[in-house]
Amino acid sequence: MRRGKIERLAALLEIPDDIVLDLPRITMLGNKQLLVENHKGIIEYTSPLVRIKLNNGELIITGQDLTLGNLQAEQILVEGTVTGVKYEI
Amino acid sequence: MLTRNMANYTTGVIRIKITGDFPEKFINLCLARGLLLWGIKKDGNAVYAYVRLPDFFKIRKPALKSRVKVRVIGTRGLPFALKRFKRRKMLLVGAVMFMLLLEVLTSYIWFVDIEGIKTISGDRIKAIAADHGLRSGAAKNSVKEKEIETSILLNVPEVAWVGVKITGTRAVVEIVEKTMAKTEDKTPADIVATKDGVITELIAIAGQAAVKKGDTVRRGDILIKGVLSQPILELAEQRPPVPQTSDQYIRANGIVKARVWYESYGEAGLVREEFRRTGRRRFAVALKAGESVIDLKKVSSPPFTNYETEVIYKKLPNWRNTGFAVETKVSVFYEVSVERHEISPEEALDLAKTQAIKAIESQIPENAQVLVHGSEVLNTSLPGLIRVKVSMETVEDIGFTRVTLLTP
Repeated sequence: MRRGKIERLAALLEIPDDIVLDLPRITMLGNKQLLVENHKGIIEYTSPLVRIKLNNGELIITGQDLTLGNLQAEQILVEGTVTGVKYEI
Repeated sequence: MLTRNMANYTTGVIRIKITGDFPEKFINLCLARGLLLWGIKKDGNAVYAYVRLPDFFKIRKPALKSRVKVRVIGTRGLPFALKRFKRRKMLLVGAVMFMLLLEVLTSYIWFVDIEGIKTISGDRIKAIAADHGLRSGAAKNSVKEKEIETSILLNVPEVAWVGVKITGTRAVVEIVEKTMAKTEDKTPADIVATKDGVITELIAIAGQAAVKKGDTVRRGDILIKGVLSQPILELAEQRPPVPQTSDQYIRANGIVKARVWYESYGEAGLVREEFRRTGRRRFAVALKAGESVIDLKKVSSPPFTNYETEVIYKKLPNWRNTGFAVETKVSVFYEVSVERHEISPEEALDLAKTQAIKAIESQIPENAQVLVHGSEVLNTSLPGLIRVKVSMETVEDIGFTRVTLLTP
């Protein structure tokens, strides 16, 4: 398999997976901020629910008073009170 | 973050309201085009977001594509502030006027202060400075510091150094005075007695002794006469006396010590009243501006049957070189309770004595030497009252220089 080979090569050269495999990087600061890098767009946005499209599936964020700050082509910053993060493939 | 905020301020920021079925689609389209959106918030059906002014002109296409309506609900930043200024020209005029006025007002001298003077009068220095153009209201660049400095130095001989410096609207004339040798007062004078007493010691340094040791003098008597003594003549008696036409008056100087008696009287009752604060108190507050007093909080008078008063003045600290004219006056009334104590005759005697001694001590000069110290209890017809007579004997300098009244 092609993917497996690339993965092994990446491991050998100690290159981070997210760069090689085009995976999203998700960083959380407590339950206040959630930064999603390398996303593919927003599917749904409401105050208690945010759905973000990813390379291989989608990320469902639930919470209260969620706002989208610092929206760029590469990253989304979800602010508010995050109560749940679910990764759906 | 800060730099981005500043960049946003200069470019201008718009708050938009997005309504439509798929605001997410609109957001994604914006993202794809690299249009920066932030602070996205959903409120009911509408989504609010911030967008930069240059980006705002590019959101037309994504909005049409996603079929959303975009409305501007707020603006922020420099372009909008400038626009406001364009509409309100007087505001700009005011700002310019302010700058101009500040510039004009700071180019004049408002205050002239003189520092470092001890004996020279400030008015004299000020007058010289004013003659050379340094007065309040003078233009700053017309003041010639060097000229003023030399002029003050030349005109006031007591000045050792002078410096003129201008700080802001204040001109400071700094002066260092010369330490001049004290000019001796040569007015003819006698030494007279300030108190009654018996002379114990008399040294005439200048002048002729008018009294001798053991003499009793009264207040105002001349002790040393301010007349030139001629001991050489006295020694050389064989020589024919030089005819003296008139006495030569000089300033007498010398030390005259005498025994002086003091007497005083004190009394104390056997019942003593003692005041003690009960802890109850009331405040009265008044505002004092110059001479007039405005009461802010009054107290019924008298606030208590027995009370003590304490007055506190509160004033704002001086700011730079001006004091505030307004101050607050807070009067505190403390209620006191009166307690009557019976005291023993010995204690009463002590009290009476202290009272009497206190009265004497205020009259005795510091360098006096107390020789005898006695007290005597006086018999009284009044019961419950003790009377004491205290007497003291001291040796002290009673000389006082008094200018001679020259009689032709």
